[in-house]
Amino acid sequence: MLHSAIVIVGCGNPLFGDDGFGPAVIEEMQKLSLPDNVTIQDGGAGAPHFIFNFLNPEVTRKLIVVDIADFNAKPGSISRISGKDLKPGAYIDPHSWDGVDQLCRIRDQIDTTVVLCQPSKVLKKGDADVEMGLSEDVANAIPKAIQVILKEIGVDYGTTRQCVQEERRRGTAETCGCNETR
Amino acid sequence: MSKVVEISPTTRHEGHSKLVLKVNDAGIIETGNWCSITPVRGVEKLAVGKTPEQVPKIASRVCGICPIAHTLAATTAMEASIKCEIPNDALMLRHILQLANRLHSIALHDILILPDFYIPGTEVKINPFTPEEPVRTVAKRIQRLREIGQTIGQIAAGDCIHPRNTKVGGMYRNVSAQAKTKMYDLAKEGLTLAHAQAEFMIAVIRAYHKRDFVDVGGMKVPLPKDLGFHDQGYLATHAFYGASSMDENPGWDLRRFQEARPWDWYMGEMTVDLEEPRYPIGGTTKAGTKTNPQMEACTGIPMYDGQPVEVGPRARLVTYKNFDEKGTQGQNVAREMEYQDCLYEMIDCLDELNPSGKVMADYIPNGDGSLGWASNEAPRGTDVHLARVKDWKVQYFSMLVPTTWNFATCSKALTGAPWQLAEVIMRGYDPCVSCATHMIVLDEDNKLVAQKLIQ
Repeated sequence: MLHSAIVIVGCGNPLFGDDGFGPAVIEEMQKLSLPDNVTIQDGGAGAPHFIFNFLNPEVTRKLIVVDIADFNAKPGSISRISGKDLKPGAYIDPHSWDGVDQLCRIRDQIDTTVVLCQPSKVLKKGDADVEMGLSEDVANAIPKAIQVILKEIGVDYGTTRQCVQEERRRGTAETCGCNETR
Repeated sequence: MSKVVEISPTTRHEGHSKLVLKVNDAGIIETGNWCSITPVRGVEKLAVGKTPEQVPKIASRVCGICPIAHTLAATTAMEASIKCEIPNDALMLRHILQLANRLHSIALHDILILPDFYIPGTEVKINPFTPEEPVRTVAKRIQRLREIGQTIGQIAAGDCIHPRNTKVGGMYRNVSAQAKTKMYDLAKEGLTLAHAQAEFMIAVIRAYHKRDFVDVGGMKVPLPKDLGFHDQGYLATHAFYGASSMDENPGWDLRRFQEARPWDWYMGEMTVDLEEPRYPIGGTTKAGTKTNPQMEACTGIPMYDGQPVEVGPRARLVTYKNFDEKGTQGQNVAREMEYQDCLYEMIDCLDELNPSGKVMADYIPNGDGSLGWASNEAPRGTDVHLARVKDWKVQYFSMLVPTTWNFATCSKALTGAPWQLAEVIMRGYDPCVSCATHMIVLDEDNKLVAQKLIQ
């Protein structure tokens, strides 16, 4: 595998509305000019089967997973969780293999961050409705998520969210921390 | 008197399915129904009106495990409908991607079935995640094989999960000479590992099937020598890649295909009256629960020449390599034998690939509405996509995927086995249930006779 120091993976299925948030963020990030040591990957619906091959603890120092999750916030809110705060799940079969368990296994070796977006409609396992396209709130959250990710990997194009706020307030373009919803 | 036992959900495969088994007093299956309970996606409807470029991308999202097989089958089906032949170097890149995907998938299946088997010569079942030897070495080898498959896929197709390089009419770009060398080196490394891994797995599989009894959740279960046997016949359209309606002598005939409705085929409503709390994981369904495979099954029953057939590695080996081993043992052995075949074929394709050759057809027609089909020999079996494209818009699209074929065949193969081993038989088919779940059933006149849960 062609391993990188930083791996960013978008998880989800675009056939299920807001579940396509992760791949949509990756699609947008592919338009950016990123350092050579960054791999961005559309993990799709089967990310837990595939993405761990992109990681090599000897090379990879940071993993960022982008996904949706219900954390009782306003639709489109972005939350950032450190891998150290994840709780291990149970492995039953590949379909129930939501990846959290594996993330817990590797978090001591690779600095892991999960960037989550609150969907407009919470999907449950087994929901049948095929609906392509993100809801407006979630689509609007893509730039915000990218800013959080860029800050996390130390890439600064002078566009972090707080920076924009600061700029509005003071007329400067100073780079500063990001106040994403937690 | 017959009793009914239900295993739901089944484990260690992709998707949600269940086994409803009518068993005799000795616990031997008289009638077995294996059915999908994954809700229908309705991708076929979603595809109508989209461009031929969009539909393979949509099709690839049906399932998390098989995006490559669906991308290749759908892209080729579009090309078959518009009658576009792609350059040989584009075809070679697709072949390499196909084989890389198969290599990765066999390795993944090894992880899923290993817990059923014993370390040869011991009474210890294999835990692929244990840090102890000898299993650790095997797990590392499996992981390396998966890495090799994914890396080759990444180089050939731009991405090893959802390939970006494939395009109706060929491939977006060819690979460089250095990339070709890299793939060649990886394939050679993989070949050595694949030989070792196949030998290990075949030894483990054979040692399991030589046993008289096996342990399932603390129960001592007799192991029949004809575990998983059936007389349903086989279907394979190519030894490793696939066929299409543009072939001079295609390996699949649409006229020989028919589909039955699940409510004409599966058992009707029953009450579970055999419960086994020791069965892993968490016991079988509680006694007194109503079950109704006829109404709960989310797939049609595809038939070739009037009967369900088996697709997958054994079907390919039976059709193209005179393989004659039956049952679950034969199925698992056949899959392991495809390990080396993948890499030998990949090396041949790399030899034939010219990195300077063109990979895009000179002319891509807009389509006149003709029906085109393409089959892809996915790791789990024949994946047939049908399409009708007119004026660069998809008018009709349908997917007939491997596990849909195997549901009915596996159900037949369950007969005569102890119910505790039903999942062992099922896993031999390497099921991918999400893909399989489509419910558009056409009759002989191509009229829609059933469409469930989609509207």
